[in-house]
Amino acid sequence: MIWRLVAMVAGACAILAGAILVAHQSPIESLTTLIHGSLGSPTAIAGTLRESTPLLICGLAVFIALRAGLFNIGVEGQLLVGACSCAVVAVRFPGPLGMVLGVLVGMVAGMVWALPAALIKAYRNGHEVITTIMLNNVALFLTSALVSGPIKDKTQSDTATSFVAQTTRLPFVYKTQTVEINCALVLGIVLAVAMAIWLKKTVAGYELQAVGANRVAARFAGISPQKVTVLAMSISGALGGLAGAVQILAYEGRFYDGFSPGYGFDALGVALLAGGSAYAVLPSSLLFGILSKGGTALQIDGVPKGITTVVLGLLIFIAAAIRYRKVTSDA
Amino acid sequence: MSFAVRMRGITKRFGSVTALDRVDLDVEQGIIHAIVGENGAGKTTLMRVLYGALNSDEGSLEVEGKPVKFGTSREAIQAGVGMVSQHYGIIPELTCLQNLILGAEGGPILRNRAAEERANALATKMGFEFDWQADASSLSPAGAQKLEILKLLWREARVMILDEPTAMLSPADAGALFESLDSLARDGATILLVTHRLPEVLEHCRTVTVLRAGKRIDEKAVAGTNGSELAQLIVGGALEASTHTAPFRPGAPVLEVSNLSVKGDRGEMALKGVGFQLRSGEILGIAGVDGSGQRELFESIAGLTKTVEGSIVLEGKSVDALSPSDRIAGGMRLIPEDRHAQGVVEEWSLNENAALGLQRLSPFARGATIDGSARHEMASKIAERFDTKHGGLNLPMSSLSGGNQQRFVAARSLCLDPRLVLAFQPARGLDIKGTLSVYEGIREVCRNGAAALVVSFDLDELLEQCDRVVAMNHGRMHEPPADRSKDRDTIGRLMVGAE
Repeated sequence: MIWRLVAMVAGACAILAGAILVAHQSPIESLTTLIHGSLGSPTAIAGTLRESTPLLICGLAVFIALRAGLFNIGVEGQLLVGACSCAVVAVRFPGPLGMVLGVLVGMVAGMVWALPAALIKAYRNGHEVITTIMLNNVALFLTSALVSGPIKDKTQSDTATSFVAQTTRLPFVYKTQTVEINCALVLGIVLAVAMAIWLKKTVAGYELQAVGANRVAARFAGISPQKVTVLAMSISGALGGLAGAVQILAYEGRFYDGFSPGYGFDALGVALLAGGSAYAVLPSSLLFGILSKGGTALQIDGVPKGITTVVLGLLIFIAAAIRYRKVTSDA
Repeated sequence: MSFAVRMRGITKRFGSVTALDRVDLDVEQGIIHAIVGENGAGKTTLMRVLYGALNSDEGSLEVEGKPVKFGTSREAIQAGVGMVSQHYGIIPELTCLQNLILGAEGGPILRNRAAEERANALATKMGFEFDWQADASSLSPAGAQKLEILKLLWREARVMILDEPTAMLSPADAGALFESLDSLARDGATILLVTHRLPEVLEHCRTVTVLRAGKRIDEKAVAGTNGSELAQLIVGGALEASTHTAPFRPGAPVLEVSNLSVKGDRGEMALKGVGFQLRSGEILGIAGVDGSGQRELFESIAGLTKTVEGSIVLEGKSVDALSPSDRIAGGMRLIPEDRHAQGVVEEWSLNENAALGLQRLSPFARGATIDGSARHEMASKIAERFDTKHGGLNLPMSSLSGGNQQRFVAARSLCLDPRLVLAFQPARGLDIKGTLSVYEGIREVCRNGAAALVVSFDLDELLEQCDRVVAMNHGRMHEPPADRSKDRDTIGRLMVGAE
């Protein structure tokens, strides 16, 4: 069995090397560029961590839904409505009040955005994958329309809101001329730890995972799968919204058209790669952050950034294959 | 006289279990022949051998005078033998016509118009009516049954096996079904009917074969027998004395069910005005063939299924408005029918599974949090109770054999001072020793004031282990007369509705 795995990893590396060769580059050199661009200097590391933060929070959003047996593809949309509503509120109320309100409003918006999918799943058995994909589209075009009109800052040419005041921003825990680490990262880490403990130590966490592992047995154990579905999707949506709010308040400072480069979608890979542990979302999101940041460096070097997506795809593929192998050998 | 089917010395073993033991079966051509017997008697297994879905270990088979050996059902169909299984093989997403021709399309290119013409001709002959282009999901249970019969005719089956064909049908639909079966038999088809229902046998069949515990017990002409004799043959003639003789003094009522009606999966009324009382210290056995409403009774008491009408009172308090978890908090415990799907989470450890269903109760829960060390302690007690063989409490449940999982699930439901134990086949998959210890465990909690409701398809087990046995048939509960409360024959007849 182990040989199949080795063969698979070797195959994946060969495909990747081949792909880089097709782009007329040296595979070894490209790898060096990737590592250097993401981990080679304090600035690069800070950039990687910045990139990892939304992936971490979104990854947790996908993860919690997965534990309840739900596939929330809608984190992207939840992030967008969270970011958009946070930006509006934070601009309106400068200072610490705006910060707190912005975070709360962002979370509520994300939760509300997940709710239709949750209710349809729980009470009408409509598949959450379909409904959340649809809600993603609505969120994308709705926020795009809003930022082109009603909430656009008319004084500038960009399709964007006004900037949030510096006093409203989330503070940096470490800041020099070249390196910035925002407390958003700390928040993400705390959330991961809190989620892991909540799932392991509370009755509610136990019941949520029971529904995810065996819905029928959970029902016979007196657990309402409907309520758990709504709860898990609400938490998931709130985290997606939080990721959007944090993105505004920590890094971007405003909402604009094309706000998310697909964090919510990459988060699916983050959570799948993490498997069964909330702690594992931390290294998983970091890996995605490294590849994303390193990919930018590659692009400057003339290698298409898409190559990192190939790497991620292969990684998820291998992770899924390992897990599948485990399941079948148990049976 | 010509025989459509002759089976000789059919033996089929599954591991160490002998499901069929040198069974003979002779069926004349052009009649309806019934196969009767209790659950697990081997009726369906025998039919699956005839249909080629199972290969027998020993024995020979003749169809229409020719010796045959079917490796697959496809070969059986080619020889003119077709079967409608208990669970219909209709795919709801396809149209009726697509379902009809599925697997017998007659070539790589579909000719829908020709197919529909032939389908209509078959349906007209049988007096059925179908909208061939409608989705099969729109069919009623009776409609699906008719479509299954047409599927056999489409494949030109001359020997037709029907496994519990009326299980899902209303009496009127069942009557119509038998009319069409009669007309098929008159046209020369041979019909093998697997059934639990004696009235059907007596009314519609010519001959009947009785199976018990994998053996052919007898074959009778229906004209020369009666319901009482058949019931006796089915459950085994000898009346054994009940082994449970401890004096039974029931206490206060624990469970009072009155006028309970519940709908089944298919929207039919599966439980019709059932009422009974269960007293502290008492074990009540519910006998009956599978699908008589036991499942609905069990699930509605547990709060898992909505009731149409009626009330359920636990220790003097109505639980009608309570959720399943509140009922568990009130002392109700379940040993579900299917441990694999309903009783455990296979990929979880024994530790984690120990709390399943009891997760909100002390000592598993302390407020809103889980007490890990208490759970571990409980898990080891639960595993010890019925001697569950395991390699460690941290190993996944899937590492246990089915019997050991059953021991674990049964022991779990008996811990934490239950008031009412709802047990659906609590000894499923257990050997004799395991069975006795699980029932002894149930007896013990009842001695401490609880009451237990036990559903089983094994009448002997119930007669041995329960204080009182009632029978369910077609969603109704029948209590044997007081002077014959433990009479095997009487209850056997109540089970099959031969009264």
